[in-house]
Amino acid sequence: MTDGGSRASVKFDAVQKSFGDVKVLEEFDLEVEPGEFLVLLGASGSGKTTALRILSGLETPSAGRVYIGDRDVTEILPKYRDISMVFQSYALYPHKTVAENIGFPLKVRKLDKAAIDSAIIESAKQVQLENLLERYPRELSGGQRQRVALARAIIRRPSVFLMDEPLSNLDAKLRGHMRAELKHMQGTLGITTIYVTHDQIEAMTLAHRVAVLEKGILQQLATPAEIYNNPANLFVAQFIGSPAMNVIHGSLENDQFLTQGTKVKTKVKGQVAKAIAGVRPEDCSVTSPSEGTLNGKIYTTELIGDHTLVTVAWGSDQIVVKAHKDFDGKQGDGVGVVLPPENLFIFDQTNGERIR
Amino acid sequence: MSDASFKFEKQNRTIMQRLFEPPSVGKMAPVAKVVAYTFLAIWSLFVLFPIYWVIITSFKDAAAVNQGPYFIPFIDFQPNLDAWRAQFNLDPFCDFSSIARQLYLLVHNSFVFVVSPIVSLQPMEPQICKIYLAFTNSIVISIASTLFCVAVGSMAAYALARIQYKPKFGNIMIFVLLIIAVIVVTTYAGVPWWASSTVALALFFFMARAFGRHFKMSLKNGDILFWIISQRILPPIVVVIPIYVMFQAVGMLDTHLALILLYAVANLPIVVWLMHDFFANLPIELEESAQLDGATRFGIFWDIVMPLTRPGLAATTLLILVLNWNEYLFAVFLATVKVQTMPIMVAAKNAGEKGVFWWEMCAIIVVMIIPVIIMAVLLTRFISRGVLLGAVKG
Repeated sequence: MTDGGSRASVKFDAVQKSFGDVKVLEEFDLEVEPGEFLVLLGASGSGKTTALRILSGLETPSAGRVYIGDRDVTEILPKYRDISMVFQSYALYPHKTVAENIGFPLKVRKLDKAAIDSAIIESAKQVQLENLLERYPRELSGGQRQRVALARAIIRRPSVFLMDEPLSNLDAKLRGHMRAELKHMQGTLGITTIYVTHDQIEAMTLAHRVAVLEKGILQQLATPAEIYNNPANLFVAQFIGSPAMNVIHGSLENDQFLTQGTKVKTKVKGQVAKAIAGVRPEDCSVTSPSEGTLNGKIYTTELIGDHTLVTVAWGSDQIVVKAHKDFDGKQGDGVGVVLPPENLFIFDQTNGERIR
Repeated sequence: MSDASFKFEKQNRTIMQRLFEPPSVGKMAPVAKVVAYTFLAIWSLFVLFPIYWVIITSFKDAAAVNQGPYFIPFIDFQPNLDAWRAQFNLDPFCDFSSIARQLYLLVHNSFVFVVSPIVSLQPMEPQICKIYLAFTNSIVISIASTLFCVAVGSMAAYALARIQYKPKFGNIMIFVLLIIAVIVVTTYAGVPWWASSTVALALFFFMARAFGRHFKMSLKNGDILFWIISQRILPPIVVVIPIYVMFQAVGMLDTHLALILLYAVANLPIVVWLMHDFFANLPIELEESAQLDGATRFGIFWDIVMPLTRPGLAATTLLILVLNWNEYLFAVFLATVKVQTMPIMVAAKNAGEKGVFWWEMCAIIVVMIIPVIIMAVLLTRFISRGVLLGAVKG
């Protein structure tokens, strides 16, 4: 079922934004396909919310153009952009009932009463709220409020859907549940969606493509798998993945990575005095002492359930290895860590760029 | 563990602990309770006794007042209705037909006022018992002026809370210079004031448009807010003479409209100041969301912002209403005969040749207090908390 939703594309063309002397967005270029679920991922202060607010029209860019579909909307008022937005705080009107909240976008557009009422019921059904229509927001749980905000956003069938950290006020269990619901709803309606979050798991699970932002600069724009398997730079590599990618400081000489006097074979070649090797915990493995690529001592072990995280001290770095759940090494025991060359990413420490 | 803590258990406390420590969190210690309630009792005596005194004095006659002080009716003195009769029965115009005619005029005039604000409320019936005239005057003036003041003031406060203004300093200087020019040509060259001000206004727009972009320095919202509040810092006694002269010039002395406008302007700073705080503290996402959903700015103000600031609005309205009801200084200058308000009536009893008619004054005061108490009770129902709950919390 793909009803409604005119599936507009979105384009940022060299958008810049500064607040006073602070540059929040620099030369931001982004194209979103019609019907795509795009996640803007970044830490706080990375400019992701600013980008969303510029698209919504709540902020005006300092330079650059913004397009929705073929229309240049840079100087168009928010209400003429045919978008709807879900706020982190939900922004429900506390003095209106659930039904009035959901129907508000149609009421201000002066649709007739009967049409509004049937649209309210249809939207409410989509988020399983049809029994709560007469309640007030204060009488609802966090998850229910979230649904009201969603229903209010979908009632108008906008061409673009904006979401600003919509799940971050929910507790962990509910967040997982609502994540699945959101993904299902977006798949059903097929409305172009731009979703801002700092949570890399939300980004990985929800997105068709992820745009990673840091300090107002787009770091990488790719599918979740591509971002995970092939990070463009050190920032992206460390931001994505839980537990985070291990970083080992050293230097690159030809196809050898030198760290603490040990040579590790790599697939890339180059001469970098200050390099960083990155490797994901699940790509490493533990072995008996002196048989690993690197040999160190166990710093600590954590049993997660289906696996054990083994932290190995390596100079001032720590290497986390995802090991079998029955791993029984103790703190201080000697252990070897195997680093497969094909899973080793090498970065230039001075600018964080990946060496390919 | 239990051995060490036994002396902190309730039944083992010393007498001093029992007296000076609260029995549980959120309660007061016995001694503190006694002190606090004693203080409150004394304080309420200070507040309530004058009201009691006014009420009983309104039932005294000259002898009971002058030979007193007598405190308890029927025991100290014999209460009578002389003071009240003087206000109502002895006044030849205090019959039902006069009051009915007065009521009709009130409705008629308020209709005229709404339809055409330029028309002054002159045709009030002066042939009516004085206390009734003053009472209706007070009600009409304070309610009309409060509504006007709160409506204009809260819109101004909302604009200052949500829109960034940057008036250029240079433009303000041009404006001030043009005003001075208007005064000079009107006073010394005999140019009619409406002609000079129209020309000045046109000149101002032209010059602001022509030179405005060359000025660098500009004021911000905070400066505007302070400027508005500073209007209230000036003592009213300083401005009342110029205001008198101005109203005289436009022929509006002793009219309802003059007092309504003047009270509204005088209290506007208070409304702007109070309401600005309420608006600035509203979560802005609500308004942003409404904006995205397609609401107009006035629609947002009316449908989202106003209902959420209702407690603040009620408190502000109550405050302004009471200030207007009690206002004396402006009224004594501008309301000479027809639009005298209750405070003027009260003060008039102090100015007779036969000394102060305390008993009559007290009767009028009682009439004046009753509406204020009713208003307070009605409006406190709106001043409820928790209106914002559920707006932005997860």
